[in-house]
Amino acid sequence: MARKRGRGMAACWYGIARTATVDRAAAWAEIDDGGSAKIVTGVTEIGEGILTVLAQIAAHEMGLKPEDVVIGDNDTARAPEAAHAGATRQTYMIGNVVALASREARGKLVDVMSDIWDVEPETVRTANGEVWAENTNHRISMGKAVECCKQRGVVPVGSASFGTDTTGLAPEDGAGRPWQAYVFGTQVAEVEVDTVTGEVQVLGIWAAHDVGRAVNPKGVEGQIEGGIVQALGQGLMEDYQLKDGHTTTHGFAKYILPTSLDVPRVNSFIVEDPDPIGPLGVKGIGEPAMVPTIPAIMNAIYDAVGVRITELPATPEKVLMAIRAKEQEESQVAAQAAE
Amino acid sequence: MPDIRFEATINGRKVKRSAKPHQRLLDFLREDLHLTGNKEGCGAGECGTCSVFIDGVLMKSCLLPVAKAQGADIETVEGLARTGELSLLQKAFHKAGASQCGYCIPGMVMAATAALRANPFADREEIKERLGGNICRCTGYQKIFDAVEVARDIQNGQATMSALDEIDAEAGDYIGKNVRRLDAPSKVSGALKYAGDMVMPGMLHVHVLRSPHAHAKIVSIDTSAAEAMEGVEGVITCDDVPGEDGFGVFVHDQPVMARGKVRYVGEAVAAVAAEDPLTARRAAAAIKVVYEPLPAVFSAEDALKPGAPVLHDYAPDNITTHIPIRVGDIEKGFAESDLVIEETYSTQAIEHAYLEPEAGLAYVDHDGVVTIVSPSQNITHHRHMLAKIIAKPIAKVRFIMSPVGGGFGGKEDMIYQGMLALLAMKTRRPVRLVFSREESIVSTAKRHPSKTTLRMGLTRDGRIRAVDFRMIADGGAYGLSTEGVMRKAAILGAGPYNIPNLVMDTYGVYTNNTPSGAFRSFGALQTQFATESHLDIAAERLGLDPFEIRRINMMRDGAMTHTKQKLRSVSLGRCLDAAEQGSGWEKGVPSQRGDTRRDLDRDDIRPPVSLGARFAVNGKQEAAE
Repeated sequence: MARKRGRGMAACWYGIARTATVDRAAAWAEIDDGGSAKIVTGVTEIGEGILTVLAQIAAHEMGLKPEDVVIGDNDTARAPEAAHAGATRQTYMIGNVVALASREARGKLVDVMSDIWDVEPETVRTANGEVWAENTNHRISMGKAVECCKQRGVVPVGSASFGTDTTGLAPEDGAGRPWQAYVFGTQVAEVEVDTVTGEVQVLGIWAAHDVGRAVNPKGVEGQIEGGIVQALGQGLMEDYQLKDGHTTTHGFAKYILPTSLDVPRVNSFIVEDPDPIGPLGVKGIGEPAMVPTIPAIMNAIYDAVGVRITELPATPEKVLMAIRAKEQEESQVAAQAAE
Repeated sequence: MPDIRFEATINGRKVKRSAKPHQRLLDFLREDLHLTGNKEGCGAGECGTCSVFIDGVLMKSCLLPVAKAQGADIETVEGLARTGELSLLQKAFHKAGASQCGYCIPGMVMAATAALRANPFADREEIKERLGGNICRCTGYQKIFDAVEVARDIQNGQATMSALDEIDAEAGDYIGKNVRRLDAPSKVSGALKYAGDMVMPGMLHVHVLRSPHAHAKIVSIDTSAAEAMEGVEGVITCDDVPGEDGFGVFVHDQPVMARGKVRYVGEAVAAVAAEDPLTARRAAAAIKVVYEPLPAVFSAEDALKPGAPVLHDYAPDNITTHIPIRVGDIEKGFAESDLVIEETYSTQAIEHAYLEPEAGLAYVDHDGVVTIVSPSQNITHHRHMLAKIIAKPIAKVRFIMSPVGGGFGGKEDMIYQGMLALLAMKTRRPVRLVFSREESIVSTAKRHPSKTTLRMGLTRDGRIRAVDFRMIADGGAYGLSTEGVMRKAAILGAGPYNIPNLVMDTYGVYTNNTPSGAFRSFGALQTQFATESHLDIAAERLGLDPFEIRRINMMRDGAMTHTKQKLRSVSLGRCLDAAEQGSGWEKGVPSQRGDTRRDLDRDDIRPPVSLGARFAVNGKQEAAE
């Protein structure tokens, strides 16, 4: 048979936020007129969905709907430091700090309302744009509650900073605490290898990743699916080539990327092992999503056709040569046995 | 050549304008009509992000001279939501979470619209094939297919519009809910402005002159001819840097423009700001640079040899970074092992290939604040570095992060923002630089190519006793993120396993190749590829199932990491269980048993692709099987 199927698996781990250094981020929050909210922090979407995640967190903490949250632009002259969009740190660092700032803003509003209503602050509830006191008839809109605050001379604002308890690595043996949160994952790949052309198709991936707590599960899936396809590109086709320092792959005609026809069906399994340190229990997913994919695919190729690819990428030429070399070796062994 | 009189119907409106005969339709739409919804991703018809309809046919507007569309009925992404209400497909993209960075999405929406116009009943496999000319680098495409299927079903009455409704969380609990992405409407409609879509009054256009040599001494740079050209407002070289010239995520070894010598092909040498992009490009070509080629080195192994060409004086051995990790006694560990396996692994350089090439806008504001708008992934650090480079207090430097059309680590380097700042300061006018795809590929960071030697000792029952791990990575001409990449590679490389005796060394090495830098998963991808491949080799030799060998060795709650950090909770066991059960994994030794497995070909995979058109369109078969 020309086409052979196989399966392989691999596991991974990853650290959340900046490595072997103290990470930190800050945010400002305000419950605004009309019962909307402003969040200002040094962050902008790079595609992962962080703006939606932050709006969900602020809405959850303040008692609003996510669409009522406005997130200010990332601007070093207008927003507090939240540092870089990378290192699988945004949900962890900025999500946690937005939660803390939102809690402080909400606390100011709750203090005013508990005073007006003469109830204990703990009995004041906020959700979906409404404010009420448990076991009473007091119930008003968030917009009205903001008005009450302003009549008393209070603007419900909060600010917060969130830092990590981490260290550098010792220069001799590397000892240290590079991160305070770790995530783990496991992926299984199913491939079909064409033994005539050497082409590998990845048909399915089952991906289980611990993300701490998923703020937006669909967003987590999006990160897993996108990460897997980037890894598939490196595993099977992408290859930035240089000849004497000059690239020979200077455009997308030569530098081959995965298209819609190359991608597997990805089945994601979100594992939640909440972070015990941060206020939300969230961790992250951006980078770890692509770590186990390549070895899972290479292990699956071995399962299908018995060749181990140790030099990436596993192009059709490379897989075919390995299959031919294996066949030759086997026929020599058989010939020797016959002698 | 004289201008042409161009007439067409664009998004339902008659347009009459003069156009340049050399103009591409894409430039005419974006620059002259300010229809910036459709983007330029490659300029060569390969990515599809510029797709528009010409008389109802999906075409790539970067390949089309404007004159070819004379008299045509043109529809851009702005035309899909003409009334202000998103089209059904745009709403479905919003609901399905089909957009991430959003840069490819206008083109993807156009292609999906074309797919459902061609066949309103297209199944998932046909949808995939019809989207095959459009590249997305973020989503992995799956949620895009989901979106097109939802729109198809609603259109065909098999689902209702309520499938697109937003969720309303009970009791305001929005953690763990699939809230629709708040930024998606701006992305599916093309309304969101990326840096390359932004304009300012009086704005100049920047072109960068780049090195044609991998390693050469710069003898002289003569900019006089360029400066004398009409429309040229400013030319800069390293001599225009007023402060400490150097940037990098860890070591500041890269000048804003080459200083004294060039170290890789594509390195910036000078930059021009002019009234239009063509003048800027012509002026850059008029700059005369005299080079004296130097011996160059193109592999990390060669760079480590005695007598190899040295790139940076501060690193005479060409080593950017060496990260060691040591646990226990490696010799004792191997002596206790029943099986020792050694193998080498290598990984290649890859390109981030975000669909948005680098772009930025800079100006000096009324208070003298030098302001840079760009898709930088780290404005906090860039601000510190630029303040030193232009010798201003930090409060006089302002970075604004524009929407990022894909980053993946590639936009952490301050590779062009320094030039923009210097040109804005020199010309006192806003300046904009937009990279071409080719420029982005040659001049920006790649994933570190690596070579790993891995020796692992195990006992007969599958316990790892010793690991000796050495990775050498090609960092290219400048440091960028190499130090951090080597550190993460080392900390995580041996995997989440208990290893009582470990020697781990990672080395980042300077060469005259394109610099390597930050790339999603940052060294951990290269090293864990080696370890996870190795574990399967060991499992076969020891007669163990691959899940089993990992469970035997995995870290558990309270485990000590290789850097001697005590972990609290370790979820690896749960992840292994979830993947094993979720995939219906059939236990067994990984010894080429694909032929006999019974867990293959379940419902939760996709069918293999075979080539050739096979779709019925309007009742007719496009091509015979």
